[in-house]
Amino acid sequence: MAKKETIIGFLYLLPVIAIILFLTLYPIGYAVYISFTNFNLYHFFHYSWVGLMNYVTIIKSGTLSNIFLQTIIWTVGSLVPMMATGFLLALVLNQRDLWGKNIYMTLMLFPWAFPSFITILVWSGMWNYEYGIVNKFLGLIGIKPIFWFNYVPTSWAALILTNLWLSFPYFTVVFTSALQGIPRELYETAYVDGASMFRRFTSITLPQMKNALSFVGISSFIFTWNNFYPIYLLTGGGPGTATEIFVVYAYQEAFSYNLFNIAAAYSIVDTIILAAFALLMLRLSGIMKVIT
Amino acid sequence: MNSYRLMKYIRLLISHLILIAFVLFAVFPIYYVLITSFSEVPTLASISISSLIPRPSTLTLSAYYYILFKNPFFLWLRNSLILGVSSMLIATAAAFLGAVALSRINMPGKSALIYMIYVLTFFPFTVTVIPLYLMFAQLHLINTYYGLIIAYSGGSSIFGAYLGKIFIDSIPREFEEAAMIDGLGRFSAFTRILLPMSGPVLAFVALTSFIGAYTDYVLASAFITSGKLWTLTLGMYYLAVTNRTTLYNVFAAFAVLMGLPIFILFMALQKFLLRAYSLGGLKA
Repeated sequence: MAKKETIIGFLYLLPVIAIILFLTLYPIGYAVYISFTNFNLYHFFHYSWVGLMNYVTIIKSGTLSNIFLQTIIWTVGSLVPMMATGFLLALVLNQRDLWGKNIYMTLMLFPWAFPSFITILVWSGMWNYEYGIVNKFLGLIGIKPIFWFNYVPTSWAALILTNLWLSFPYFTVVFTSALQGIPRELYETAYVDGASMFRRFTSITLPQMKNALSFVGISSFIFTWNNFYPIYLLTGGGPGTATEIFVVYAYQEAFSYNLFNIAAAYSIVDTIILAAFALLMLRLSGIMKVIT
Repeated sequence: MNSYRLMKYIRLLISHLILIAFVLFAVFPIYYVLITSFSEVPTLASISISSLIPRPSTLTLSAYYYILFKNPFFLWLRNSLILGVSSMLIATAAAFLGAVALSRINMPGKSALIYMIYVLTFFPFTVTVIPLYLMFAQLHLINTYYGLIIAYSGGSSIFGAYLGKIFIDSIPREFEEAAMIDGLGRFSAFTRILLPMSGPVLAFVALTSFIGAYTDYVLASAFITSGKLWTLTLGMYYLAVTNRTTLYNVFAAFAVLMGLPIFILFMALQKFLLRAYSLGGLKA
């Protein structure tokens, strides 16, 4: 009986298992193999095993540590404002006596509802030096037009602001629904006991939100780390390579320079570092169990 | 008492100000692209703040005319729809079957599989895109719809199965058990009872897998070289990035034509979608 159950289960899972095997596990193994070969433009048809040479090359070039730091700037720099904004808006929207919640919520969904590939290109036009609307607005308050993507700090500012626009609706929605899950009685009891608004926030809201905040924070860390389009479409990793992150750099090494071996090595390093961070955070937050 | 009421008004006032500021931030780029798409822009530098509030006399459909009739828009749209709809159907079906098995059927290795699905999300797409290209080249799937459909539906169905499992876990087993006592087989119990009840999460998987295919640039640009198979995203990238002489109003019209249907769909299904998102976000 138990055996029959297992067979039936595998039949249901067959499509998903086939997909995992052929479209992810096999290609991942293949990519690991490529990262140990000299498979690139110069050895396209006859490539051979070179051991750790690609890894040695990228570590020695010094690019790796820069890209690592930039990936951290991108991920943490995006995540902190996104989560703070989402949490703040959720707290504001969670007030019982606030009028017009649904209208506000609906309008704030706009960035999420429009495909991001398109809106990133729209933003790319908005940051433009000559005709970008951002510079026109700055002109109103007497600030001279800025070449946003020619300087490193302004590039990061533009990237992170665009990413905030793309993501804050998601965080607002998820945190609002988590706040609504907190039992009302907790607040009522605290209120009767004379706890201040600040006290209610620190002793009820924060502890009750801990799981939601950690889970969303970790998942978004993973997502942002490998988020390709904002950087690829806005700065292309520039000026120079100052805003390159792993995934964009690996893509360009492969598709602009045909260095498939180097691209594979960067992708593997990217995964190892991200996995280390993710597992550490999952362990520390005690959220591991929530996944399954 | 009076100071209490004053505090309340101040609190609400600040709340409204914050919300209005973020609503303006959220809506502005969409409004901007809409306005631009209806405007006559002879040179890009002539866009100014005053053009943000359009006068009816200056509105024109010329950018739309240019996009629809001077570019192969309908060909690109057809290709995008073929890829999007096929990937959506395959991904949703595979995700539902996988989700039912992960949630309802006892079998060894289930939790290992779930962990593995989670770990797979750590890999950037750059790991798989080159091996997939080489595999598909050997199988003669480059420059075909099939190659892209397989790649798109694969990605979305794995995460869909995981999300579906979480959702189906929250449906009491008694529903199918009652149906099975009434003489329904297990598979029909799943399709007749669980399938309709999984509506929100399936709508979510369907829409995200459609959007994933519809807005993909990376795989399409790698697996397609023939102009006949170009999708809307490739066309848009060409107009916005490669062909720098494109007028901004033409680009804007393209953005509206391509994005508005998704926008309307998202807004129409928002109740379902937000529930599914909250579910994936905090299953605590």
